Amino acid sequence: MSGEAGYRPGPRPVRYGASPEERQFYESLVAEHGSPLLVVRRSRIEAQYRLLQRQLPGVALYYAIKALPHASVIETLAALGCHFDVASEGELELLRPLRISGRRTIHTHPVKKPEHIKAALRGGSTTFVVDNLEEMNKLLPFRHRIGVLLRVSFRGDSVAVDLSRKFGCAPEQVPELARAATAQGIHIRGLSFHVGSQSARPDSHVAAVEQCASLIAAVNADNDNPMSTLDIGGGFPVDYDGQGLDADRWFRPLREALQRLPEDLSVIAEPGRFLVAPAVTAIATVTGRARRGDCQWYYLDDGVYGSYSGQLFDHMRYPLQVFNDDPQRQPSVLAGPTCDSIDIIAEDVPMPELGEGDLVIGHMMGAYTAATSTRFNSLNAARIITID
Amino acid sequence: MKEFQETLYDSIAQCFRIDKMYFEHKTEHQHLMIFHNAFLGRVMTLDGIVQTTEKDEFIYHEMMAHVPILAHGHARRVLIIGGGDGAMLREVSRHRAIESIVMVEIDAEVIEMAKQHLPRHSAGAFTDPRLQLVISDGMEFVRGAESGQFDVIISDSTDPIGPGEVLFSEDFYGQCKRILAPGGVMATQNGVPFFQLDELIQTRERMGRHFADQSFYSAAVPTYYGGIMAFGWGSDDPGLRQVDEQTLQQRFREAGLETRYYTPQIHRASFALPAWVQDALDGYGQ
Repeated sequence: MSGEAGYRPGPRPVRYGASPEERQFYESLVAEHGSPLLVVRRSRIEAQYRLLQRQLPGVALYYAIKALPHASVIETLAALGCHFDVASEGELELLRPLRISGRRTIHTHPVKKPEHIKAALRGGSTTFVVDNLEEMNKLLPFRHRIGVLLRVSFRGDSVAVDLSRKFGCAPEQVPELARAATAQGIHIRGLSFHVGSQSARPDSHVAAVEQCASLIAAVNADNDNPMSTLDIGGGFPVDYDGQGLDADRWFRPLREALQRLPEDLSVIAEPGRFLVAPAVTAIATVTGRARRGDCQWYYLDDGVYGSYSGQLFDHMRYPLQVFNDDPQRQPSVLAGPTCDSIDIIAEDVPMPELGEGDLVIGHMMGAYTAATSTRFNSLNAARIITID
Repeated sequence: MKEFQETLYDSIAQCFRIDKMYFEHKTEHQHLMIFHNAFLGRVMTLDGIVQTTEKDEFIYHEMMAHVPILAHGHARRVLIIGGGDGAMLREVSRHRAIESIVMVEIDAEVIEMAKQHLPRHSAGAFTDPRLQLVISDGMEFVRGAESGQFDVIISDSTDPIGPGEVLFSEDFYGQCKRILAPGGVMATQNGVPFFQLDELIQTRERMGRHFADQSFYSAAVPTYYGGIMAFGWGSDDPGLRQVDEQTLQQRFREAGLETRYYTPQIHRASFALPAWVQDALDGYGQ
């Protein structure tokens, strides 16, 4: 799953110490709601959404629900005018109780059971993504209702998570698939691509936009039902390393590439991580300590089977914070609550003396954290609360 | 401003202003609304699709009830599948000569909700003493019903994608054929051919396997966006679709019906299909 070149998680940033207000803020949340917690900040989601709108003007944003499928996140984004990328019936069902119309969604899973298609149509989701003829044939019975995006695979070499291997047709297959679709009375509304996730540089996005533009122009040249949509996926990076991320510098080449597209082409994007990662903070509590060899072990009530699951599935390292700023630190292990020895959040991380009941804060923990947490050992997942 | 935007088609959608919400029922599995629109009156929607409006429901219900009943000429026993809002029942029960009406609705709550929030649809018809109301799955009912007991069957179903799907199956048409008396006829809701031509052809194939005479008739229902809507027609008597205007006039008068859309002339004309629909049914132009 991991890209073999380019992005690598840097050394994990750890912050020692906290202002009295900060400390009071986390401790009162735990006093009120218990531990472990995931704290969603609506204002941060809104800030990320506005930032992305500014960086990619004119691009319709479809939040990839899978990143954090939580009602308060969806509601916050819906109120801002965001659209939604759904990949399963369950994700669509999250929208219905919130009165979010299926017209604000696209269904992006390239492989579907026929009942998935029917459930999506019942939910009002009428745009589907495919990457081969067999999947296109499943859409035949519904061809008069739907729009289809053809997913094209471009390999990104600067991404943390490579999404081009599992799905997507080769660019050279596009004209042939478009012809086959037209012959069957299916309209290909446009192309979509995902170069990967947490891209270090925008080069892959830019190259994919340019290649898609040529492919669309070529197909439209001899097709009187033109493609009209380009879905540039997601993959926009957030700052896990604490190095600071110059959004304008990252997005400018992509923005310029999009500005070169024909005016009547609609561009959409499927941001997930970018919108939610910085908006969520994890709070865990030290529940036990042990001295093993040269190493100090701290056992927390959240770990890689829980909110820190993204360290395994998503290959991310989240910035940590403890309140003790004592410069005397020793190599420590932060372990999760399950019985499994893989359940370790951080090894050889310098830590001041922590006591039972001390809090360990995980920052940037909105994307692919709670979404992939398990119930291993029958431990409850961290409670999600929403503030702001 | 609140709006309802229909979600039937990817590239086109009709949009209604919601002037007042009367009823909303949303679960993980379905979303039903009844709201007021300044022009249409009360509007009922299910899962993003318009089901019925007070302003134009008469077209749909008059055409689905009176065409098969008056074509048959001496219908005494009528089966309605679906139609929980009660308007189909209202139109059927206007025929005094009908002796029994069986209505099979899968969801008792729909009936209660419609009585309360769409009262003009049933207009009191649920108290008709000839009515036998059965709360059951339509498919299960026809499977278990005795052969040859109905003169007219009206399938007032929802969209073929969703709970109504089974009412578009070949098995359903076969069971309906079996429980119709000789000379009986069934009429079905079959969508808007302009957008749903594949469904039309599918009904031709599936219903056509069971009835000597399978065809469609049509009417334009404004809020079923897209031009004419098709009603499926199945009978073993080809004569039922050829009844002359004079005979229809006489039956219409005898029934004492007052209608706003249906007339014997409309009845005759509604079986004439546009060339592109006829071609598609004949296997051309697909």
